[in-house]
Amino acid sequence: MINYFIAILTFVMIYAILSLGLNVQWGFTGLVNLGHVGFFAVGAYTSAILAKLGFPFIFTLAAAVLLAALFGSLLALTTLRLKEDFLAIVTLGFSEILRLFLLNETWLTGGANGIIAIPRPIWQYIAKHYDLFYLLILSVVLVLLFLFLERLRLSPYGRMLRAIRDDELVAAVAGKNVFRSKVQAFSLGAALAGLAGVFYAHYLSYIAPDMFIPLVTINVWVALIAGGSGNNKGAILGAFVLLSFLESTRFLKDFIPILSGFRLAAVREILVGLFLILLMIYRQEGVLPEEKIQHG
Amino acid sequence: MGDQFLQYVLNGILSGGILALPAIAFSLLYGILRFPNFAIGTYITAGGFIAYAANVTLGLPIPLAFLLTMVLCGFLGVGVDQLAFRPMRERRPLTLAIVSIGVSFILENMARFIWGNDLRSYNLPVQRGMEWGGVRIGKEQLIILLVSLIFMVWVQLLLKYSRLGKSMRAVADNPMLASVKGIDSEGIIFRTSYLGAALTGAAGIMVGIDTAIDPLMGFKLILSIFAAAILGGIGSATTAVGGAFFVGFAEEVSMIWLPATYKSAIGFGMIVLVLLFRPAGLFRRTQVI
Repeated sequence: MINYFIAILTFVMIYAILSLGLNVQWGFTGLVNLGHVGFFAVGAYTSAILAKLGFPFIFTLAAAVLLAALFGSLLALTTLRLKEDFLAIVTLGFSEILRLFLLNETWLTGGANGIIAIPRPIWQYIAKHYDLFYLLILSVVLVLLFLFLERLRLSPYGRMLRAIRDDELVAAVAGKNVFRSKVQAFSLGAALAGLAGVFYAHYLSYIAPDMFIPLVTINVWVALIAGGSGNNKGAILGAFVLLSFLESTRFLKDFIPILSGFRLAAVREILVGLFLILLMIYRQEGVLPEEKIQHG
Repeated sequence: MGDQFLQYVLNGILSGGILALPAIAFSLLYGILRFPNFAIGTYITAGGFIAYAANVTLGLPIPLAFLLTMVLCGFLGVGVDQLAFRPMRERRPLTLAIVSIGVSFILENMARFIWGNDLRSYNLPVQRGMEWGGVRIGKEQLIILLVSLIFMVWVQLLLKYSRLGKSMRAVADNPMLASVKGIDSEGIIFRTSYLGAALTGAAGIMVGIDTAIDPLMGFKLILSIFAAAILGGIGSATTAVGGAFFVGFAEEVSMIWLPATYKSAIGFGMIVLVLLFRPAGLFRRTQVI
């Protein structure tokens, strides 16, 4: 039982990092990203491939985060000068094409079988309570990220991002470099998704393309919107809400006998989609609405 | 090689014909509602499965199933619009794009819930394909192309000459002016949703006949549809047809050099190239929608 909770909490933390990343893009800056799972996958695969080649964890982590940020900047540079609709389309396209790449380039990614036996960092020293140790490390990372993003939110830079979100033209007239800031915010969000991917890959020590489907992106959107877009605490709370939701629906099959196999999966995805739409229509501000900041 | 190339060109024309209807629908909806509607992909899936229920479960002949599917898909489009999009008319367009992704997840999984993940096909008599000089084409494919062309022409005429078409163009061009002129914009949205989903549902049967019916059949095409619409200069139903044939052609001909699994990457590559070098689309724009 305790192991079950440790596992759930680990996934909550990973989703919290994903959700914080999307919060920088959508919550702070108003940039839509429908391919969040793509950056998550870039992080997971880069770190896993490099780790299998024997590189140390710190190195694989840095490389993975940088590569995810690089992909983020490239997509943002391509599309952000145009209408924002294009970012929605291009990000979704990116994550799907990336999944095709992961499936087909077997020489690099292992194809549909994925990558197995990804080394778990410093496993040999602490094999006994490894999962608990991993959760602690992840918590420290999450707290540091939270503190960093709170500082960012309260800083003049954060204020500028919100200004861009609320009225791009006014921000530009006030002399802010709107395009550059958007590219930066988008890349930062992508980097965070990459970081989440690193922790995901080394926790499971196994990754495959079917873990990086668009459903993950939808899940993160549900988490962020439920928790409170624009609010870092909300983004983290949303990850708890989402995982509780997903875990509780897992037991639906015990009550409704026809729900087996693909039917249960379908019902859960329908519920996630429904939850997203209802949140968007009726409670866009989430459980923890964005805090108003008094700038004195 | 010459014959083989011709075969790829022919396949390109066929897939262009299938892509054209959803690309028109996407452009019409974009013109009126101003957000990229990701649910278009699942209207294809819905069309494929409604026709499957009509044709295989109920035993109706394909032409009848085709008509029934278009009628029902139209209602589906209207239902989705009323339930999911209408409460959000005043919101940022991107919020609606996210909602449309939610819609497509729900519909795709409803299909999965009822019919599962297996590949299915219609009850069609096996017909011998035709062949000239090494180039093969199936009879069904010819009919698909013909039906699709008829609908393309019909939509163009509708937009150009009918009262509905003129009102649609007016709303797309300037919603404020249109409403001042007494055009009921909710009524136009209602009918555009119906028309868009019905056309896309028709494409669903075509995809089902040409390949197979499964819950992901529509989502797999979404990038190609977007590519067609963007190439056509997003929001123009006329040039979307040109975009569709261009994308269909490029996807099929690229199969000479690329493995078939990368087909939808071609659409994506074209989106990126167009956005980088010709953001207004390949064609000069002459009119709204």
